[in-house]
Amino acid sequence: MSIMEYNGGSVVAMVGKDCVAIATDMRLGQQSIGVAHNFEKVFPINDKLYYGLPGLASDVYSLREHLRFRVNMYRMKEEREITPKTFTHLLSSTLYEKRFGPWFLEPVVAGLPAPTEMEPHPKPFISTMDTIGCITTPKDFAVAGTATDKLYGVAEGLWEPDLEPEDLFETISQTLLNAVDRDALSGWGAVVHVITHDKVITRTLRSRMD
Amino acid sequence: MDALASSLSAPPRLTRDLNEDGDDAGSSAEWGSQGGFGNLHSGFVGGMTVPRTPDPAAFLNLHTDSMSSNPQAKIKLAHGTTTLAFRFKGGIIVAVDSRATAGSYIASGTVKKVIEINPYLLGTMAGGAADCQYWETYLGMQCRLHELRNKERISVAAASKILSNIVYQYKGMGLSMGTMICGWDKTGPALFYVDSEGQRLKGDLFSVGSGSTFAYGVLDQGYKFDLTDEEAQDLGRRSICAAGHRDAFSGNTINLYHVKEHGWDFIGNYDLSETWYEYTQKEKGDKMTRVEAPSPMAVEA
Amino acid sequence: MAMHAERSAALHELTSAPIQHAFNPYEDNGGTILAIAGKDFSVIAGDTRQSQGYSIQTRYARKVWQLTDRAVLATNGFAADGNNFVKKVKQRLEWYEHAHHKQMPLKSIARMIQTILYGKRFFPYYVYNILGGIEEDGTGAVYSYDPVGTYERESCRAAGAAQSILQPFLDNQIYFKNQTPEPGAEPFIPGNLPLSTVLALVVDSFTSATERHIEVGDGLEVYVVMKKGRPTDDLVGEGKLAPGMAVEELDALGEGDGEKTFLVTRSLKRD
Repeated sequence: MSIMEYNGGSVVAMVGKDCVAIATDMRLGQQSIGVAHNFEKVFPINDKLYYGLPGLASDVYSLREHLRFRVNMYRMKEEREITPKTFTHLLSSTLYEKRFGPWFLEPVVAGLPAPTEMEPHPKPFISTMDTIGCITTPKDFAVAGTATDKLYGVAEGLWEPDLEPEDLFETISQTLLNAVDRDALSGWGAVVHVITHDKVITRTLRSRMD
Repeated sequence: MDALASSLSAPPRLTRDLNEDGDDAGSSAEWGSQGGFGNLHSGFVGGMTVPRTPDPAAFLNLHTDSMSSNPQAKIKLAHGTTTLAFRFKGGIIVAVDSRATAGSYIASGTVKKVIEINPYLLGTMAGGAADCQYWETYLGMQCRLHELRNKERISVAAASKILSNIVYQYKGMGLSMGTMICGWDKTGPALFYVDSEGQRLKGDLFSVGSGSTFAYGVLDQGYKFDLTDEEAQDLGRRSICAAGHRDAFSGNTINLYHVKEHGWDFIGNYDLSETWYEYTQKEKGDKMTRVEAPSPMAVEA
Repeated sequence: MAMHAERSAALHELTSAPIQHAFNPYEDNGGTILAIAGKDFSVIAGDTRQSQGYSIQTRYARKVWQLTDRAVLATNGFAADGNNFVKKVKQRLEWYEHAHHKQMPLKSIARMIQTILYGKRFFPYYVYNILGGIEEDGTGAVYSYDPVGTYERESCRAAGAAQSILQPFLDNQIYFKNQTPEPGAEPFIPGNLPLSTVLALVVDSFTSATERHIEVGDGLEVYVVMKKGRPTDDLVGEGKLAPGMAVEELDALGEGDGEKTFLVTRSLKRD
């Protein structure tokens, strides 16, 4: 029995044109038994930055609180919002602190960096890392969880560059739904967040419940 | 104690070397139209290649993963199931799901887990898909031979015993099947549970597979012998729906059969997820009406 | 050395306990196969890389085989078992042709493959098979198997190293899973796609798998079996195929009833 597959669940993030999307399934299981279908694995840091934590459910709760503390400390010290890139590194070092007894999570980060003087037109940002915090920052999409390989397949086939928010929503939704339908441990409902400069579009999907 | 038990339950030795008449033998039976099931000529169920190791069953266990108990094995066999069958006044209801998984990957969502042995006998599939498919097809041939020899249809009891005798021959060698043989014979509707351990039980209600506990939950609270046809079919469908919902290794679609005096009828194939939404919608509606009903004890705010 | 796999984890630990050596007759040679059935045609495809662990044994090893004028078999898993299995199937098909003076129909080949596989239930062929072709009624068909012979007729199936990468994509594009037609629009009918669409999906699938799976790549072989009398102008002719693809018609193996088999080839990334 693998701890990474004990509760099941998957997260995917995608880059669009001046927008990013992040989506999760809602299953919480105990191996083969489905326990809850309201277990969201994606959380907001602010209205421009979301992250997902697929993996061991107990660690989802603990790490989420731990990160809330660290991000609040950052806010108080710096008196500004954390950028997606900085948050990724914060998350990475948090994970590496537990190098020899890791958090059983594979985080995915998706955010829109705020324009600055140095960078007036920042690119949408996504990143993912392994259980001990090794970062990868893909230009297209990031996937994690028990449906990883299935998500890769559909995303590789459906994603294209510069998708507008509504098309990105359709692409990430189709990717998630079709991938989790081939994974026994993911599914049971889904949530999609599309982050744009002026709003975050959050929708729950009607997915297969078996 | 274990040693004693295992010495007593040692599998019966096969009287002939299984490697004889192997699949590459090219015996005369394989030449003609019997090709494939050509082992009929000897009357012995043979033609099985066995690795020449001291313990063939241990070899098979090392390299195959039939129940996800051996995930590092290369050869992953399809498994995971919910099946049920029950007897009632209108005959027998047989309901199954259609999912096959290899590890956490859903290998197929369209498996036919009810095997139509002949127009009046059904067998269900749980455990090793190939074992059930192959031996129940073979059982169909044996049942036809019985008809030709005796000018009479085989009883469900006899048919299920042919199957249980075959699998008992292979006991301890790694076959994995939990099946229900359902049919209507001179005695009326009959239902037998047969598994690869050699167990054969007559009964009114069975559920087999990884989701069987969930199915039993719904089945037991709704089961009566006097169910109408519609009620019985709905109970079967609802039970598989509950199991497919909760059990990760069951789902996709429901196949529903009804065995009657003239043989079996295929009632339908239902999308399990859509069925689940229907039932939950209906329950929500029920709850709404209950809340709306005014109670004399209600305290108005 | 792989033949004597160590079962003890600590290789150099001094111990008085006996170390068990076990003969391992199986190997995983990677690669992926895929088949899609159309209304009056069937497409059976496979990549040509053969690997062992992280090494490539060869960039061209055949995994898809023409059996009769209306049947093509794709094998995946352990190459030695696969090649031997195909040899045995072909032998049985030849015997059948001698006994009956005709080629074995597709559904009969399908059942025969089950019995051959199940014959080695206790010493399985480590092979995942997909059989594609044309049925006696002229429809395109795909049959898929597990290593010990469970089989099922389907209209689309991926197997092998990248099956979990390909199959959900095909569920979406071939079976239209999770898709709803716009209000008033034509309903989706699975298994009714034109050949050009199916070929494009096959190529997209394999380029995706090549991108994300190390055991897939080098070359792609796509067999197209067409019902007798079906026009071939959507496959053969100038500009019918995407750049970099080639097509050739294969000779009939039997009397030549009219079914046609084509081989479409294309290169895949070699990294």
